[in-house]
Amino acid sequence: MDKPLRVDLEMFEGPLDLLLFLIKRDELNIYDIPIAKITRDFLVYVGMAKELKLHSAGDFVLMAATLMKIKARMLLPQDPDGDEEIEDPRTELINMLLEYKRYKEAAVTFEELERSERPHYYHIPAPWTAEEEDQTAILEDVKLYDIMLTFQYLLKNYEEPLTHHVAVEEVTLSEQAGYLSSLLQTKGKISFLNLLERFESRLIVVVTFLAILEMLRSRQVKVKQSKLFDDLLISRGAEFGNR
Amino acid sequence: MGIADLKQIVEALLIASPEPLTDARFRACLKDEATNIPLADIISELETDYTKSRRAFEIKKVASGFQIVTKSEFEPYIKGLFSKAGKLRLSQAALETLAIVSYRQPVTKNDIEAIRGVSSDSSLRTLLDRKLLEIRGRDEGPGRALLYRTSTEFLQYFGLNTVKDLPKLREVEDILSEEQDELL
Repeated sequence: MDKPLRVDLEMFEGPLDLLLFLIKRDELNIYDIPIAKITRDFLVYVGMAKELKLHSAGDFVLMAATLMKIKARMLLPQDPDGDEEIEDPRTELINMLLEYKRYKEAAVTFEELERSERPHYYHIPAPWTAEEEDQTAILEDVKLYDIMLTFQYLLKNYEEPLTHHVAVEEVTLSEQAGYLSSLLQTKGKISFLNLLERFESRLIVVVTFLAILEMLRSRQVKVKQSKLFDDLLISRGAEFGNR
Repeated sequence: MGIADLKQIVEALLIASPEPLTDARFRACLKDEATNIPLADIISELETDYTKSRRAFEIKKVASGFQIVTKSEFEPYIKGLFSKAGKLRLSQAALETLAIVSYRQPVTKNDIEAIRGVSSDSSLRTLLDRKLLEIRGRDEGPGRALLYRTSTEFLQYFGLNTVKDLPKLREVEDILSEEQDELL
């Protein structure tokens, strides 16, 4: 019989995957899993997981505990009167296994689709940069998630040395909002990157960014971006000037 | 405007479009020079031309639109253009996660992990970075967890026209009857 003696735990996507493997290997009936045996086999693998320091070891240990709980519940005597139908303690586990198996199979389908699409290549035209931009931006509605990512990325240039000085920085949100408004009044649009060059401290950058978000919310400004991590182009919004 | 002109316009749009060209977008690009001819008809004319003249590319219907892609027989040469050995394939974990999202969207990370029985942070991150998934709002329930769904790039990546084109997920009953058969 074709039974591998030792199988790497890393082969498995998780405890459910391992259980499905054990069931298939020993040709077990998924509806009537011999819980004592499968728990024993499972624990052998979890023992390996401890050595391997797998990051998902916790998920395996949790399943081991679940299996032992089911095993204990199966040892309890049945209701002596036999009046009440006692649910098989394995039911929940069986349902989980079957549900997981459906998606594991679907993943195979996706892999096949991936394989058939892989040999096809297509050309993606380079997006325009913010400078070339006129009325039409590539991404009209920049999502908040994109803006946050960009900000996080840009802020890396403002890593400050670890020193201890306590000084009160006189900068407020409304001040920066006013500053942005006056810039927009004269210039029409501002590049976020250029804007940052004017500021020396991280705090001012953060406050300015918050001011932009606030103005974005109240539709005083619009923000456009040509691609992720790219410069943000700030221009007047529908409600510009109405405060 | 004759079909010959339209064919040229469509060809130009196909090459310049950053995403699969849809009928609606095609019409928007035509502006005043409207036509009743459906994009699909013009595409099939182009396809005939391409076949006749033995082009190295073909037109694929994907993500509710059309896209020019290279024919698969040129992959060995195209690979030479890239430093890595072709495109990166998705891991088993990422494929499982993607399968769950595509059939049950919108879903939260918890939904995914409940089915997989294992932490899915890193595969979610990979799929978001590769833009195959996107975040679409938050769950109404406690914690207001982020909701994930598949993107247009997902359809492109797997060569699907719409999410409805996905093969039907097998019913639990089918899996069970198969299990029984194997035992007998």
